[in-house]
Amino acid sequence: MIEVKNLVRTFNSGDRTIKPVNDVSFVLEQGTLASIVGKSGSGKSTLLSLLGALDKPTSGDVVVNGVSLARMPDGKLTEYRRRDIGFVFQQFNLIPNLSAVDNVMLPMEFAGVRKAERLQRAKDLLEQVQLDPEKQARRINRLSGGEQQRVAIARALANEPKLILADEPTGNLDEQTGDHIIALLSALSRDHNTTILVVTHDRALANKTDRRFRLQQGRLTEEPVRAMV
Amino acid sequence: MSVLARSVGNAFRNKVRTAAVVAVLAVAIGLALSMLVANQAVGAKVQELNASVGTVLTVNPAGGQGFEGGGEPLTAGQAATAAAVPNVSSVVGTSSLRLRNGTEAAAQAAAQAATGTQTGPGGGQGGAGGPGGASAATLTTSLTAAIDAGTLGGRNQAANGTTGSTGTTAAQPARSLPITATGTGGEVDSTGKALTITEGTGLGDYTAESANALLGTTLAEKNSLTVGSTFTINNQTFTVAGLFDAGTTFGNNALYVTLPTAQTLAELPGELSSMIVTVNSLDNVESAKTALQSALGTDTADVTQGQNLESAVSSLGSVKNISFIAFVAALGTAGLIILLIMVMLVRERRREIGVLKAIGAPNRTIGLQFVLEALVLVAMGSVVGAAVASFASGGIASALISTNTSTTTATTVGRAAGGPGGAGFPAGGAGMPGGGGFPGGNPLGGASQLLTSVTASVSPGVIAAGIAAVFGVAIIGALVPALLTARIRPIEVLRGE
Repeated sequence: MIEVKNLVRTFNSGDRTIKPVNDVSFVLEQGTLASIVGKSGSGKSTLLSLLGALDKPTSGDVVVNGVSLARMPDGKLTEYRRRDIGFVFQQFNLIPNLSAVDNVMLPMEFAGVRKAERLQRAKDLLEQVQLDPEKQARRINRLSGGEQQRVAIARALANEPKLILADEPTGNLDEQTGDHIIALLSALSRDHNTTILVVTHDRALANKTDRRFRLQQGRLTEEPVRAMV
Repeated sequence: MSVLARSVGNAFRNKVRTAAVVAVLAVAIGLALSMLVANQAVGAKVQELNASVGTVLTVNPAGGQGFEGGGEPLTAGQAATAAAVPNVSSVVGTSSLRLRNGTEAAAQAAAQAATGTQTGPGGGQGGAGGPGGASAATLTTSLTAAIDAGTLGGRNQAANGTTGSTGTTAAQPARSLPITATGTGGEVDSTGKALTITEGTGLGDYTAESANALLGTTLAEKNSLTVGSTFTINNQTFTVAGLFDAGTTFGNNALYVTLPTAQTLAELPGELSSMIVTVNSLDNVESAKTALQSALGTDTADVTQGQNLESAVSSLGSVKNISFIAFVAALGTAGLIILLIMVMLVRERRREIGVLKAIGAPNRTIGLQFVLEALVLVAMGSVVGAAVASFASGGIASALISTNTSTTTATTVGRAAGGPGGAGFPAGGAGMPGGGGFPGGNPLGGASQLLTSVTASVSPGVIAAGIAAVFGVAIIGALVPALLTARIRPIEVLRGE
């Protein structure tokens, strides 16, 4: 379970203080597939960074399974990211000189998974995201944007995290592949009790999530499913 | 893909840049290794010189080395006096003999009788020594000298007796140099340096008469003698107990017998040609020299330092220091190059580091990846640098030595040439046909050669030690940027999204 309590994040820009996340609170039960929508610059990615322990809040707290991230030292936060979080970045953030399969194997290497096991698992995941087997050994910079996005999703799933944070996971995919990714995330949420929070502009994706939030000027509001239709 | 494999891959990410970095590193590492090799070579030479000549004094009969001729030979009593001088740790007496092949001696005597006296400066049989000089006894032997007259030193003109300004043009019979036989009271050569026995054994008790002898390797080879073979001196049979290598052609055209044996052969019991006095410490050499000269008297003995290379050795010490400083400087440069390159790479890959941290890479893994990448670059630089060093170290060492010792050597050699006693044994007969001097004849003439004969051989041990030092410095140089990676917060580099 993820409990977000009065989360605030401020930035100073010259004389101004910006609050992309302003007193945000919500609770997500384990296995929930949730989405956040909002305009560009509304603070969606900042909120995702706070939930994923990439950034520290100005105030407030994120409690994951009873453990406060605000009081966690850096080493433990790294371990938390490695073990419990899967990120899908908007810009993919893959390592350009490594192959697709090597990129997917990276989080498993950091988690201490044996080489043979991580290789097999990486290939399985790349198959699940429908990346052609012959492209698995290609370097990232020789893959298309859509293919890179699929590799990024496979990497996020590598360590079977309890929470997947995805920033526009279908943004660069064609409709058919996008639908497949949505189905894959839904299955993960349903079958593996994985909590998934996606930031999206894709209404089709938002409509398929269990809970929907809208972020506006740093404030989060939950919307009924019907309101999105 | 392991951290190591990733590091190797990253090292070759930009091949042009990698080649440039390796080239720069190779120069620094090659220079460092060259300096280390030079340092080791010079250090070994200084040690050798200090061990061999630093604490040895030579006592000769007064005037024995001058053209004016020497005085009375030294005696066993004077050896006892010398041994009683403070700080003297040992006194080894020597008795020099000059051996000539019996057959050649007879033939030359017959030729001289037929042609008259030789008048050319380079021709003719060795004359007597200087006025009043104490000649080394000349004896006959079954041995043939290993060196033909005039074959060394490019002074072969005298061999046929045609170039002397006032010499005759009559054909001269081919002559060989005499063989140096030294009776010694210890297993040392005329400079006090321990004999290097390459085969067989020493002579055991050097203070007792013995029918055993030690032969120079070239002399033994020339006469087809091995350990256990026999030869004669004045019709007395001697057995080859061992072979020694003096390191020079002249030095190896010699033999050693025990001191009493030489004195008996020369029929001069109790007389010594010279004494080799070893002082207990380099610091006491000067005081011991003064005390020794005082104890023996200036009218009966000349005390000289075996080879007065003190200032030259000191100069070599400077070369050693310079080469060490240059080694450290080159090592530091290599470390600095690594540091700057890795800082540049860390800055360039900040985003990548942020991504790795975001997906759970611990700081130590990322730091290790950068250190290993630096070591891959250093390994490549070391391979090229070692190749550079193997070619350059000899030249660099020679350049350092010639630059730093030229003044000292010139001074030393100059003093040697102008000093008392030019060539030959104490008051020995100069003027052998075309000869270049007797073994060890000029006590200082070899200074230049001694100083510049430093062999900067690239030994695997030295290279390994140098490369280990380079890697040590590289690790330190790479640790700083690796630690910088720990300060990178993933959100700072990902916020750009």
